[in-house]
Amino acid sequence: MSEPKAEKVAVTLNVNGAERTVTVEPRWLLSDVLRQEFGLTGVHIGCEHGVCGACTILVDGEPVRSCLQFAVQAEGARIETVEALGTPEEMDPVQTAFWEKHGLQCGYCTPGMVLTAKALLDRVPNPTEAEIRHALSGNLCRCTGYQFIVEAVERAAELRAEG
Amino acid sequence: MNPLRPLFVGARVSRVEDPRLLRGQGQYVADVNVPGMLAVAFVRSPYAAARIAKIDTRAAAGMPGVVAVWTAADARLQIVHEGQGITQTVLASDHVRFVGEPVVAVIAQDAYLAEDAADLVEIEYDAQEPVLDAHRSQHDEPRQVHHGRSNVVFSRTTGTEGFQEAFASAPRHVSLTFTTKRQAATPIEPRAVAALPDPFGDRLTVYVTHQSPHEVRRQLAQILGWPEQRVHVVVPEVGGGFGIKAMFYPEYAVVAEAARRLGRPVKWVSDRREAFLTDAHARDAEHVVDIAFTDAGRIVAVQDHVYGDTGAWPLWNFPGAVGEAMWASDMLPGPYQIPHVAIEITVVFSNKAPLGPYRGVGGPIGAQVQEGIIEGVARALGRDPVEIRRANLIENDQFPYRSATGQLYDQGSYGASMDAALRLMDLEKFREEQTRLRREGRYLGLGLCVFVEPSAFAESEAGSVPYESVELRMDTTGTVTATCGLGPTGQGHETTLAQIIASQLGIRVEDVTVLHGDTDNAPVGGGTGGSRSGTIGGGAALRASGELKDKIVTLAAHMLEASRDDIVLEGGRAEVTGVPGHGVPIADIARRAYLEVGALPEGMEPGLEVLGRYKPPMAATYSNGTHAAMVEVDVASGLVQVLDYVAVNDCGVVINPTIVEGQIHGGVAQGIGSALLEELHYDDAGQLTTTSLMDYLLPTLVDVPPMRVEHMETPSLSLGGFKGMGEGSLIGAPPAIANAITDALAPFGVLVTDIPVSPDQVLRWVEKARA
Repeated sequence: MSEPKAEKVAVTLNVNGAERTVTVEPRWLLSDVLRQEFGLTGVHIGCEHGVCGACTILVDGEPVRSCLQFAVQAEGARIETVEALGTPEEMDPVQTAFWEKHGLQCGYCTPGMVLTAKALLDRVPNPTEAEIRHALSGNLCRCTGYQFIVEAVERAAELRAEG
Repeated sequence: MNPLRPLFVGARVSRVEDPRLLRGQGQYVADVNVPGMLAVAFVRSPYAAARIAKIDTRAAAGMPGVVAVWTAADARLQIVHEGQGITQTVLASDHVRFVGEPVVAVIAQDAYLAEDAADLVEIEYDAQEPVLDAHRSQHDEPRQVHHGRSNVVFSRTTGTEGFQEAFASAPRHVSLTFTTKRQAATPIEPRAVAALPDPFGDRLTVYVTHQSPHEVRRQLAQILGWPEQRVHVVVPEVGGGFGIKAMFYPEYAVVAEAARRLGRPVKWVSDRREAFLTDAHARDAEHVVDIAFTDAGRIVAVQDHVYGDTGAWPLWNFPGAVGEAMWASDMLPGPYQIPHVAIEITVVFSNKAPLGPYRGVGGPIGAQVQEGIIEGVARALGRDPVEIRRANLIENDQFPYRSATGQLYDQGSYGASMDAALRLMDLEKFREEQTRLRREGRYLGLGLCVFVEPSAFAESEAGSVPYESVELRMDTTGTVTATCGLGPTGQGHETTLAQIIASQLGIRVEDVTVLHGDTDNAPVGGGTGGSRSGTIGGGAALRASGELKDKIVTLAAHMLEASRDDIVLEGGRAEVTGVPGHGVPIADIARRAYLEVGALPEGMEPGLEVLGRYKPPMAATYSNGTHAAMVEVDVASGLVQVLDYVAVNDCGVVINPTIVEGQIHGGVAQGIGSALLEELHYDDAGQLTTTSLMDYLLPTLVDVPPMRVEHMETPSLSLGGFKGMGEGSLIGAPPAIANAITDALAPFGVLVTDIPVSPDQVLRWVEKARA
């Protein structure tokens, strides 16, 4: 029935600005490795089939579903999780905007939303409402009804412009 | 009360929960990891109905890394459904009764290994014909779900005296059948449980995604046969619940028992497929309705036969489809004066997943029927449904109003909320636009739902206690730690309770830390569900902080040599009114209470710790409001787009308008899903065919329009004047959207009675009308 277990392999990942080599089974998902080997539990797992967007991370600046990749595929890429945003003293403007605008309730979809929003703003500093809705339409939220998320991204654009 | 005193109640305070969540530092059950923790994978039934002929676990048990493989005989735990006279083993024994029912548990070093080994478990089944249709099931056809027990779970006929005469003598009648398909609450965080044996106390600490910490502790203790003090439940961050996480599931018992018997920490985290298969399903009811009314559009009598399908098993201590059916029929008159009702309820077992609570329980379907009745009468009379609503609405001078189904409505703003919604939508202008666009072949519609939301029931799915408790401990620095038995899943109770407490004590919101979810430190409470936390929990916070304030004021009066009546708490100080600058910091009072106890007034106990409990004076309080949806139906593709949305909401005194608006937005989004997208579909073999988020569609950012929310405030008689509001938006939204489609497709003779409305359905309607 099940495949014989593969040997573990070493993979070097650049995560949140630091390189680290970990030993993984080739079949281990990037989402699982980030959570279990790197302790980055801000990577939330919601569906494991690439629809909900809760596990979204940035790979070379682009939003990617970490549940749809194996960790071994991420060698050499620059990975950012929500833990990389802001500092203990000061949140990233996107986080601040989500806080101000009540862009979250249970917080489970939030890391994916925040990272997707950040990637959008890095590309389009002043997005229209339609652009925001389109860019975040791959991230499901069951609590907020999205309206305050849209307002949060608009506010984040303002905060980033203010520098 | 000093009008200058800073009042946090009613203020748009930013949530204290948010920084940790935004940083990804919220700790959910899946994040609980300790050395040596084992993982569980469940082997689940692939059949809707079958006899288990043989289970062979040897290959799985022999796999390296596997610690144990359990069948029902190994787990040896059962849930006794006393009301139904049936007993459910936590792993299926002898028979399986729905696809997804757990049969074998594999416990291994990690989740990958557990799932590998689960693949090696061999089970032989003798398939049986599944029971899938409620109408046939009530006659035990094709067979009994539980051998020797009728498939009828519940059957009841009630009605008002004089119904028959009133119904028969009415000049007009219309009959309609309403259905809502099976739907799933679908929180984005799947269910999870982690159980850790405590080596010091012979206790078990159980982390679980739950809305009612004390209730799940009680249930775990009962099933484990332990006194409650040996079970320590911790509910950390919960990623949405919406009712399904108020339930007890067999996996929780298996994981707790495995930890106890193996002496190892054990964890199970549901995947999305398991969530669709086994999280409590919802709705799935049919209402066959006969309406009697006058030529003027006054509704005289309504007869309703409700059919509910509760699935294969009851959920423990929850009435399942009986609740959905009973509460829907209880709320059937909604905000309208309907003098006579006759209600028959038939609820049956089937070979589908157990049915349980999802936000609104009964309310959404009740509102769908109530508003469908209005649309049906309007259509029969050729009148605008707004006029029919106006003709039947309960007037302000009729409160408190006893509905024909026995609900005692407290003061509300039914007519005023509808007027406000129509003003915000500009009905007249819309009608002109609608007429103009119809000439161009575009079909816009405006739909309303004037809803009544029962809230803060003395009893709800989140535990059966009619009160909440809040314990406050002010420390020696004058800040406060509050503990409570609520089970928030994103509602922001840490903020709203802190607002209430800070307002009372004259301190800052950030000086109050609200803890919840830990049965070792929290006073007993019912938990979160049935829109009870703000009203009952808020009442408990008010009561506790009132008592604490009382003690602080007494001590301040002593320290300031003033009369108690002259002491005001504000800005972190106790001040004497009328004597500017004559005061003392609350921190000094706190230090005195704990550390300088020799200087306390005669007879005063040291410390500033109080426990406040609150039980509202009424059985329930009823929020209300009006939702108005504007949709466009594309008759070429069948797609429905929601263009504009207005919610006018009256939940009494608002604690935090921003949080209330967020709740409303979220419920409306779920309502859009319920009306247009969401359907759990079983095929003819009883296979659930919607087990991924690609098959069961949730609304996304492009499906949900911007919404406008307006508040009205009709206080309840509860302490603080609060009313619950967590569910009203999912009660109001589905009928508003359904009725908007009815309005849009009026030229095709369509009256929407079944949801969700699929594009296929729209195309069939259009085709039929054009044929």
